[in-house]
Amino acid sequence: MDQFRRIQTGKKGDIHLVAFKDKKILDDTVLDEIRTEVTHLIGKASGPDVLLDFANVEFMSSAMLGLLGQLHRKISAGHGRLKMCGIRPEILTVFKITNLDKLFSIHKDAPTALATFT
Amino acid sequence: MHDNASGGDGVSPAGVDVLIAEDSRIQARMLERRLTEAGHRVRWGENGALALAMARERRPDIIVSDIEMPEMTGYEFCKAVKTDPDLRTVPFILLSTLSDPIDIIRGLDAGADNYVTKPYEADYLLARMGALLATPLAAADDTGDAMLEVTLAGQKFRVRAGRQQVLNLLVSTFENAVSKNQELIVANQELSVARDGLQKSNEELTALNVEISRINAHMVRDLKAAAKVQRSLLPPDNVDIPGTQIAWRYVPCQSLAGDFLNVFPLDGEHTGLFVVDVSGHGVPSSLMAVTVGRFLTPKISDSSLLVRQGPDGRVVVVPPAEVATQLNHLFQADEFSGLYFTLLYGVLHLPTGRFDFCSGGHPALVRLPADGGDVEFHATESFPIAFVPDVEYAQQSIQLLPGDRLFLYSDGVPEAMDKDRNPYGDEAMAACIRDSRGQPVGAGVAGLLAAVEKWCEPEGPLDDVSILGVEWRP
Repeated sequence: MDQFRRIQTGKKGDIHLVAFKDKKILDDTVLDEIRTEVTHLIGKASGPDVLLDFANVEFMSSAMLGLLGQLHRKISAGHGRLKMCGIRPEILTVFKITNLDKLFSIHKDAPTALATFT
Repeated sequence: MHDNASGGDGVSPAGVDVLIAEDSRIQARMLERRLTEAGHRVRWGENGALALAMARERRPDIIVSDIEMPEMTGYEFCKAVKTDPDLRTVPFILLSTLSDPIDIIRGLDAGADNYVTKPYEADYLLARMGALLATPLAAADDTGDAMLEVTLAGQKFRVRAGRQQVLNLLVSTFENAVSKNQELIVANQELSVARDGLQKSNEELTALNVEISRINAHMVRDLKAAAKVQRSLLPPDNVDIPGTQIAWRYVPCQSLAGDFLNVFPLDGEHTGLFVVDVSGHGVPSSLMAVTVGRFLTPKISDSSLLVRQGPDGRVVVVPPAEVATQLNHLFQADEFSGLYFTLLYGVLHLPTGRFDFCSGGHPALVRLPADGGDVEFHATESFPIAFVPDVEYAQQSIQLLPGDRLFLYSDGVPEAMDKDRNPYGDEAMAACIRDSRGQPVGAGVAGLLAAVEKWCEPEGPLDDVSILGVEWRP
C-alpha cells in the first residue's frame, strides 16, 4: 500500500489524497523525489482531483512553490482540481508573500477541503 | 585376525568398515555421507577416547582421525591403536592441517600410516584409503622397537616406527606436497589472471579519473565565469544619481546566486531599480538570473524591456507593469520546469517623486516616510514571474515626499532563520529600518544587513540577501 518514500497516498472516492511525509522540504533531492512520486501517482489518471495535505510540513523552500505550480498546471490541463490543506501559519506566509494564496485553493484541514470537491 | 576386506584385488575396495574420529559433527557427517555413498560402512566417534572404545569393541578395517579433539587427540588415539596388539595393523589416516613440520614427526611417533591434509577432497581421501588397504601392513613388519633418529628444525627426535609405516607416511607426505603444489600452481595462475584484470581495471579507472578531473576543471571554470557574469549584473559600489541617495548590499550564500539587483538612470528624469530573486539555488537558478538580467538593462537594445526608442528618437520608459507582463510572457515554457522568479521593479520620476512599481510575487516594498510617520509595507498584487501564463501584472504607485526612503529586498531578509529556525520577520525588519531614520541611507542598508547576519549567527544566512535603499532628495 505504502509504496512511496516521500508521500503517503490514499483515495476518497475519485480524489487522490497526498500527504507529505517530510517535516522539511528544503533539499533539492527531497523536492525531486516528491515531484517524481506525485507525478507518477497522478500521471495515469485523467482529470484527477488531488488534495495535498501539508500537516507534517514545518519548513518549505520557495522551490517547493515552483513544484506546486507545476502540479497546478498539469492537473488543470487535465481538467482536474488541485487543493491544499493543513498548511501551518508560518508556511502560509510564504504563499501570502508571493500572492500565490490567491492562485491555489487552500483549506484549513482535509475534511473542509474534501467538502469543496463537489 | 587380519581379515580385511581389501583382499588385495584392487585399489578401491568397496564395503570396508571405516571408523571416523572427528569432533566436528558437520565434518563427520559430510565424510560419513561420502564414504557411505562409496559403499562403506561407517562408525563415528566424537573424540579419540570414544573412537578407541569403538575400535576395541569391533575391529575396523581402517581408521580416519582428526588431530585436534577433546578428551584424546588424534596422535594419542593413533598411538593407542598402534600399541594395541589387536589393532596395530589397522591402517590409520591422520587428517592434518600440516601447519608445522613437527606434525610429521608426531605422526611418525604415533605410528600413523598416512596423512591427508585438510581441507581435502573426498575423492582424494578415498583413493588414499584404497591404496592403504591394497598394501596391507604385515603385523610382523612392525617390530615395534625400531628406533629412528630424525633431525628437524635443529631438533633431534627419536621415533619408534616400522619401515612400511615410514615408507607409507613418506609417500603420503610427498603426494600431499605434490597435490598442494599443483593447487598452488593453479591458484597462482588464477591470481595472475586476476592481477592482469585488476591492472586493466586500474588503468581504466586512472583514465576515468583524468577525464573526471578534466570535466571538473572545465565546470569550475564555467562556474567562475558565470559568477563573474552575475557580478556584472550588479550596480557599481557607489551609485551616484543626482536627486537620489542610493545604497545597496548583496550577499550571495553560494558562489552562484539566484538573487540580483540593480539601479540606474533610464533617461534624464527616470531612475529604474529592481531586485530579482530566482527560486532555488545553484546553476539552474543562476542561469535563469543571468538570462533575466539581459532583459533588465537600461541600454536601448533589442533585448531591453525597460526602455525603447520612441518615434522622435527619444527614450521611452516602459511602465513597470508592462515590463513584468512581458517578462512573464518571455519566460513561459511549453512545460513549466518549476523554476520561477519574483521581481520588484520600480521607476522613480525624479522631478515629481512619483514612484511607479510592479511586484511579481516579491516581498513587500517598504517605505520610510521622512515626516516621522511609521514604515509602510506595500505588498505584491501579482504572481511570481513565469508561474502562471497569460496574466496581466498590476502596477502600483506611491507619491514620495522629499527625504522619503524606499527599501527593496529579497525574501532572504524577512525569512532569514536563527539557529532555532525562527524567521527574522517583517516586524524586526520594520523596527530596524525605523531606527535608521536620521542616518544616511547607506547606514540604514548596512544596519539591516548586520541585523540579519546577527540573527543568523553562528551559521550565517542560508539564502541570498539583497537590500537596496533609495532616498528621494529633489
